[in-house]
Amino acid sequence: MKRRKRMLEELDQDILDHIEAETQDNIARGMPPEEARYAARRAFGNTALVKEDVREVWGWQWLERLGQDLRYGLRTLAKAPALSVVVVLSLALGIGANIAIFSLIDAVMLRMLPVKDPQQLVLLSSHQTKPVHGGPGYSGYGISLSYSGFERLRRQNEVFSSVIGFVPLGFDPESVTVNIDGQPSLAGGEMVSGNYFAGLGVPALVGRPLTNEDEERVTRVTVLSYGYWTRQFGRDPAVVGKTITLGGQPHTIVGVAPPEFFGVEPGRAPDFWVPLADEPGLTPWSVQPPKGQSLFTDKQWWWLMIMGRLKPGVSPEQARAAMEVWLRQTLTGDLGLSQPDAQAFVIKLEPASRGLDSLRGEFSQPLMILMGVVGLVLLIACANVAGLLLARAQARRKEIAVRLALGASRARLVRQLLTESLMLAAAGGLCGTAFAGWGARVLLILMSGGASLPLELHFNLKIVAFAAAVSMLTGVLFGLAPSLGSTRLSVGPTLKESASGASQRPHGPRWRLGKSLVAAQVAFTLLLVTGAGLFVRTLINLEHQDLGFDPHGVVLFGVNPTQNGYDGPRLIALYDRLLQRIQALPGVRTASLSAYTLMSGWVNSAPIAVEGGQTKPDQNAIVLWNLVGPDFLNTMRIRLLLGRGIGEQDTATSPRVAVVNQSLARKYFGNLDPLGRSFTFGNTFKADEAYEIVGVVKDAKFDNMRGEVPLTAYVPFSQSGLTGPMHFEVRTAGDPTLLIPSLRRAVREVDSNLALSEVKTQSQQIDEALVQEKLFALLASFFGGLALALAAIGLYGTMTYTVGRRTSEIGIRMALGAKQSQILRMVLGEAFTLVLIGAALGLPLALAAARLVASKLYGLKASDPLTFSAAIGLQLAVATLAAYLPARRASRVDPMVALRFE
Amino acid sequence: MSTREERERIELLQGTLDLLILRTLLFGPAHGHAIAKAIERNSQNVLQVEQGSLYPALHRLIRRGWISAEAGTSENNRRAKYYRLTAQGRKQLNIERTKWGKLAGAIARILRPAEQQRSEP
Repeated sequence: MKRRKRMLEELDQDILDHIEAETQDNIARGMPPEEARYAARRAFGNTALVKEDVREVWGWQWLERLGQDLRYGLRTLAKAPALSVVVVLSLALGIGANIAIFSLIDAVMLRMLPVKDPQQLVLLSSHQTKPVHGGPGYSGYGISLSYSGFERLRRQNEVFSSVIGFVPLGFDPESVTVNIDGQPSLAGGEMVSGNYFAGLGVPALVGRPLTNEDEERVTRVTVLSYGYWTRQFGRDPAVVGKTITLGGQPHTIVGVAPPEFFGVEPGRAPDFWVPLADEPGLTPWSVQPPKGQSLFTDKQWWWLMIMGRLKPGVSPEQARAAMEVWLRQTLTGDLGLSQPDAQAFVIKLEPASRGLDSLRGEFSQPLMILMGVVGLVLLIACANVAGLLLARAQARRKEIAVRLALGASRARLVRQLLTESLMLAAAGGLCGTAFAGWGARVLLILMSGGASLPLELHFNLKIVAFAAAVSMLTGVLFGLAPSLGSTRLSVGPTLKESASGASQRPHGPRWRLGKSLVAAQVAFTLLLVTGAGLFVRTLINLEHQDLGFDPHGVVLFGVNPTQNGYDGPRLIALYDRLLQRIQALPGVRTASLSAYTLMSGWVNSAPIAVEGGQTKPDQNAIVLWNLVGPDFLNTMRIRLLLGRGIGEQDTATSPRVAVVNQSLARKYFGNLDPLGRSFTFGNTFKADEAYEIVGVVKDAKFDNMRGEVPLTAYVPFSQSGLTGPMHFEVRTAGDPTLLIPSLRRAVREVDSNLALSEVKTQSQQIDEALVQEKLFALLASFFGGLALALAAIGLYGTMTYTVGRRTSEIGIRMALGAKQSQILRMVLGEAFTLVLIGAALGLPLALAAARLVASKLYGLKASDPLTFSAAIGLQLAVATLAAYLPARRASRVDPMVALRFE
Repeated sequence: MSTREERERIELLQGTLDLLILRTLLFGPAHGHAIAKAIERNSQNVLQVEQGSLYPALHRLIRRGWISAEAGTSENNRRAKYYRLTAQGRKQLNIERTKWGKLAGAIARILRPAEQQRSEP
């Protein structure tokens, strides 16, 4: 630095010397001293330029200019603090929203499993193209495969170096009763093949992982997840060797998994892993097979998920072909299907490098839609900022003209102006990153609907790179047009302009740029506002639909006594006791129980066969069925239309009965009386398993807020022989949440080892089912409002600016007799024209975008005319507001003042 | 592309100016003003160099190691910076001179027929 300063001083001295010498020469030639000095300077040329050229030769120029630009930029930005703050804030919102959504996309869709060589992993799945008689039944249709097939596969296969089997211990995230030192609680676990940890390449953090020996010798051991170890044991390493009870069975803790390992499914982190073992207590999916049977020997029932690690050199296609052969063998060999029937099953191998895709499947499309939304917001912010900078650049015309006149090159000025934009963008990006960290967390809470999603939001390099790239791109995007535009001016006329600049044509190219920026903002805003309208109306339609039952004032909870040793008649007796105890509680109107609560998303589904074959030709209809206790229909207020509901008289020993809904009755019996008719689940009617229809109820939604009401059958839980974990529904007189403590007490009084799971109100459950819709409605409205505000600011700025420039023109008009109202109309008309042009551009875009999200809508078409006209109306209203102030100012122009303005 | 053409033209000029500076310093060290004057004088005022453009060229030659700068006193006893040709610069001058000779010869050959035609009548 010091050396540079000395060199600069020397250069100055050199130049001074030179000019002095030349002056002396000129004097010697007889010039008068004054003229001699002037001639010497002229002969030397532009000293500033010479110095700059020399410095360029020295090579510091690049850094030096950057420093200059930054300093100068800071000064200019500080000179207009309000503008700078508005710009930085709108950029921060735009960039922050993008980073927030991106970090969620990263966590859900981009992050690799923390295992060895994740790209070698594939997940096997199968689905059937048509119902097949004698085909498999599933726990987890589409993801589950045959256990017997798995055994054969791991004994012998050519394509995988390891074959890993795993299955959750229940449908709910927490379905296993754990007893640690006498304290019952609930946790979620997975049953895995012995090679699970070795095959994935995950070591144990403490102790050892599970091994093949654990599975073969049924050692009753478990490995805890890092999170569970932290929550339950405070990361005590001495926990290895300790015995805890899982589902009623003592298990010894042998190890703890590393912190980054969340299992193979992002968003569903098991608390513990146990080896695959055919033992009572812990069963795959918490399914309780009928007495004397086992899921492990039942070749007909598929419940195991399978992952394979490809051998080096084996292509996914080779593996798929091999697995297709394996699937056919399993179907024909183990299930005895015919070849043509086996053809109805399709095997799929999906890359599992990022884990199972349940969370991806659920959230990838919403996240992409949100990414599009925030991308639009950023574009609008860019257009807005570009407009503001353009207006300011206009005010800086003089400055720029002076600098051009002094010999600055245009490229140099563009660079200076771009540096300023990039500084703004960088400031916006920094603030935006701060917003994003906080915004992503809020989003995560919104996405999970109150329950916590076990997703790690790391602030990793990918996100930093994304933030930097977006900020820089933004800076160039909004900075380039104004800086190119404002440096394209002819120096002479600009310098001669009066301070007001009123002699300028109001329709020059820069003005056109400003107008197109406003129109672009309007177009993009229309996209967001229509989107918000569509999503909000979808949510309203969903929330106000007739569900067919009354969700208000009902509290729900689940219990799983099968893990405490209850089964058969004892289990049913326990449920009866619990129900009686709960019904006796003060504040309880009615109570019942069912296998699945409404809107939980879980269902049983099966085809049915009707006695006498009075079925319609469409045999592929699937019936959803629920196991329910007495008074279920009454408790949920599902209206009885014919016959009776299921009541106390329907016990394990009484004749089997069922209640069906209207749709089912209409489909299978048309106008005939359905009462007294019988059906069985399955493809053929079996008299000894038949249920007699004793009642018909009004259609009610079951598992899903959307779509048609499914064909539904309700059967008494005591008569199915499939009784397992159940859920209770309790209708209360007052606030249902107030009843929860006494419910817990009541259950504890019946059996102190029972833990309640999934305690919530029916309304909460519906809210959870509508999480995505709420998220969309909320975020789309928020960003739509933001976009409207930005567009209004843009329009206001542009109109104020034009009105200012046209003061003298307006003065002349008024002097010639134009009325105030005419001027007002003229300015408002211009604003309207801009909005209408923008809307005309935005409308086809908005229609196309709406079609993209059509699957997310409910109860209205993607091209809903009401929403679209309302959105355009809203924009015109906002535009009127934004343009009214400038228009009024224009109409109040005093002609005399305006004409003297110059 | 106009910018590229411009750059080539500037480079040509710079190269020429470099050659002229080296040639001037062959007679001994000189300060900036003296170099400018010498170029003007020796070219019989045909080459009007904007005097300021000398300085970037001088600093470029210093960077390449073809000339060196030292403090000295001028004729009228003022402190001034003197530029001196280095051994490497001397070599470079020969190279540049040959190059220039070839270039000038080539251009002359191209231009000559036209001149002859014009001078015939």
